[in-house]
Amino acid sequence: MSEMSAKKVLFEPIFTNNPIALQILGICSALAVTTSLSVTLVMCASVIAVTGFSNLAVSLIRTQIPNSIRIIVQMTIIASLVIVVDQLLKAYAYEISKQLSVFVGLIITNCIVMGRAEGFAMQNPPMLSFLDGIGNGLGYSIAILFVAVFRELFGSGELLGFTIMASVNDGGWYVPNGMMLLPPSAFFIIGLGIWALRTWKPDQVEEPDYKMSAHKTREAF
Amino acid sequence: MAIRQFLDGIEHHFEKGGKYERWYALYEAVDTIFYTPGKVASTTSHVRDGVDLKRIMITVWMCTFPAMFFGMWNIGFQANSYLAANPDAMIADGALREAFILALAITGEGAGWWDNFVYGMAYFVPIYAVTFIVGGFWEVLFATVRRHEVNEGFFVTSVLFALICPPTIPLWQVALGITFGVVIGKEVFGGTGKNFLNPALTGRAFLYFAYPAQISGDTVWTAVDGFSGATALSWAASGGMEALETQIGWMNAFVGNIQGSMGETSTIAVLIGGLILLAMKIASYRIVGGVLLGMIATSLLLNIVGSDTNPMFAIPAHWHLVMGGFAFGMMFMATDPVSAAMTNTGRWCFGILVGVMTVLIRVVNPAFPEGIMLAILFANLFAPLMDHYVVQANIKRRLARG
Amino acid sequence: MAKKKETVGKTIQVAFALCIVCSVIVSAAAVSLRPQQALNQELDIKSNILQAAGMSEPGANRERIEEQFGQFTPRLVDLRTGKFTTPEELGVPDALSYDQYRAAGDPNMSTRLSSAQDTANIRRRAHAATVYILEEDGEMVRVVLPVHGPGLWSTLYGFISLEGDLNTIEGIGFYDHAETPGLGGEVDNPRWKSQWVGQKLYSDDKSEPQIRLVKGGADRSAEDGEHQIDALSGATLTARGVENLVNFWMGEDGFAPFFKNLRDGEA
Repeated sequence: MSEMSAKKVLFEPIFTNNPIALQILGICSALAVTTSLSVTLVMCASVIAVTGFSNLAVSLIRTQIPNSIRIIVQMTIIASLVIVVDQLLKAYAYEISKQLSVFVGLIITNCIVMGRAEGFAMQNPPMLSFLDGIGNGLGYSIAILFVAVFRELFGSGELLGFTIMASVNDGGWYVPNGMMLLPPSAFFIIGLGIWALRTWKPDQVEEPDYKMSAHKTREAF
Repeated sequence: MAIRQFLDGIEHHFEKGGKYERWYALYEAVDTIFYTPGKVASTTSHVRDGVDLKRIMITVWMCTFPAMFFGMWNIGFQANSYLAANPDAMIADGALREAFILALAITGEGAGWWDNFVYGMAYFVPIYAVTFIVGGFWEVLFATVRRHEVNEGFFVTSVLFALICPPTIPLWQVALGITFGVVIGKEVFGGTGKNFLNPALTGRAFLYFAYPAQISGDTVWTAVDGFSGATALSWAASGGMEALETQIGWMNAFVGNIQGSMGETSTIAVLIGGLILLAMKIASYRIVGGVLLGMIATSLLLNIVGSDTNPMFAIPAHWHLVMGGFAFGMMFMATDPVSAAMTNTGRWCFGILVGVMTVLIRVVNPAFPEGIMLAILFANLFAPLMDHYVVQANIKRRLARG
Repeated sequence: MAKKKETVGKTIQVAFALCIVCSVIVSAAAVSLRPQQALNQELDIKSNILQAAGMSEPGANRERIEEQFGQFTPRLVDLRTGKFTTPEELGVPDALSYDQYRAAGDPNMSTRLSSAQDTANIRRRAHAATVYILEEDGEMVRVVLPVHGPGLWSTLYGFISLEGDLNTIEGIGFYDHAETPGLGGEVDNPRWKSQWVGQKLYSDDKSEPQIRLVKGGADRSAEDGEHQIDALSGATLTARGVENLVNFWMGEDGFAPFFKNLRDGEA
């Protein structure tokens, strides 16, 4: 990264260097919390807050952190932030925090947070690191919101709890797709999303490991 | 030879530079329906054989006929038996089907085999047609975009998929299921030959998890509204051997006039088709043998272990053979040459894994009534690994031999 | 400088300072937010109880829930004797703060059930349970009882609400479970739950509860139609779990002795 403008740091992770779609990080929580959009939104806010502030904090003390314990220091900062977020949710968004259950706590293990703290904040000034954290949080959010829209819409015919397609059980016409409520469906949606993204931005396609030689045929008669 | 001349006459439009270049896949598909492909391999080593991919696929397709025709008769037989006892019951799903049935056949009391068959046709044919059209659409779309030929493998996938659906399944679900099977199960990995999962089973597994109410339970197997009849597996899970013997009887389950998916009920019809496949060496006897072996060993083991609370533990192997989709899965699904193991030792392992997992899922897992679908998909995932180790072992042995 | 920060002293210093700062932040957050969280938890239980009693209003705010719940009197019942007990005896400040499910894990506060007793497969039963009684003009018109038991994947936790005759079901609701969405998860379906309303637990000649979840649909005109509920289609084991847990908790090892005492006025 030769020149880093604030704008680039903030917006690059959203589409061109998306943590989920390109780096395939942080998939676990994308499976778990995306059955309903409102829960996902809260999760996004939490992750953005944690990535942003952990980057800021790590970057502020980056010159002081001894190399031998730097990972532990980062973990401690991240863990403290996550606990604070978790406590706040339990106090002010109880219903949603119940649905998020352990997954707020598991933000600690979200590879994106650790990755940004170690990979970016350790080398860059605080303001830029903060923006980078926010940007990566946003990239994560865009990806899981995309998943959540599909899962809630097709899984229960609702969006943010408002009925879009009335389901059969409530006397409507839509037969909810039960698989959308099961975690594996998020894999399929992320996969299809990556397919769409890479069709749009072909430079994200990885080099194939090997190439098959061309199929040779000739006329039989 | 008028067709040949016509096809040759228009061929240049579809070749590179021709005006319909994009539609080459369609042209090729039509051409090879009538004639042997005009291309042969030109790389150095290949085997000359009268059997090509197309002939294999068409043979498999024809081998499903006994199960298919029996299945159609059985749909009618089940429905008419119920209608005979309950003349007020309604024929399931739609006026069109009802009109067709009533126009061509007698329902309820006095229905003969032909009437049963017509009844079944009204259910199977639309499902098969939807499978074929929707699945074919995706197949042609991907072939066109990727500029390769439409593959005959789809004939097999579509008929297998249709046969493992219950007769009352809504047609839009059929369309969704085969879409998922063909696109996610096969095309995203590069099409026929590169799919590591059986596309027909992938489609059915999708439906099973997405719309469980329409593909499992007691009300979906007979094409009469409000009918509730348990499958053999469902009887076994609730009542064990006693219920099976009194409610169904082994001979009935073997012949197949019982509740179940359209093409799966008759073990004998499936075996007829399967034996032809084995005799022609299209299906690998190693896989079929492995599945049987795994199933028999596991069910014997569970018989010995026994359980006070779970009556499924006591079900003997000869019942496992005739219940659910075991025979069908063993003969037509596990033997899929693409998604199964390719090496001979690998095939034994693959078959055994399918057999073991089927019985384990049926007996020990309370959530899934049938096991063979998930067992085959599970084993599909391991097939490349098995082949890898077999090949590595071979390399090692040859190196040691010097 | 790079050299300086790698010393042992510096490392310990940084670690120590960081720990202090982080622990201050974390404990400040935890302590200052605790009252609010406790309030939320209580409110959650209250709204679950109201839901089981069929009294919940969608979108009801805190005040409304408190007001509705205020009509109920929480009481502790000793399940061994079937009589009311006091918070003091259980060592809790009041009936609401008693946690039956935590008690079930404590050998001093619960009993191991024998396999003959344990028809709902819950293994241990707490000695006491909190029940919620609604009285009008001194007459008990409604009682809400906690029930739980395993379904297919998970333990179902819920409440069942009975009318004053202690026989007619007023409503049932599960607030915590992890059954398959679309199959066993249909225990949350309002349509399915509405079938329970008005059904009877006991028949005249038998003391055991008679609730049955019938595969293929309940037959209300049958002789025991007043005990029948539709089974959940495609979810045999969840349905069986629900049937077992209702019959267990309404039976001799559940609340039946308490009902008897209530009727006789000896509770």
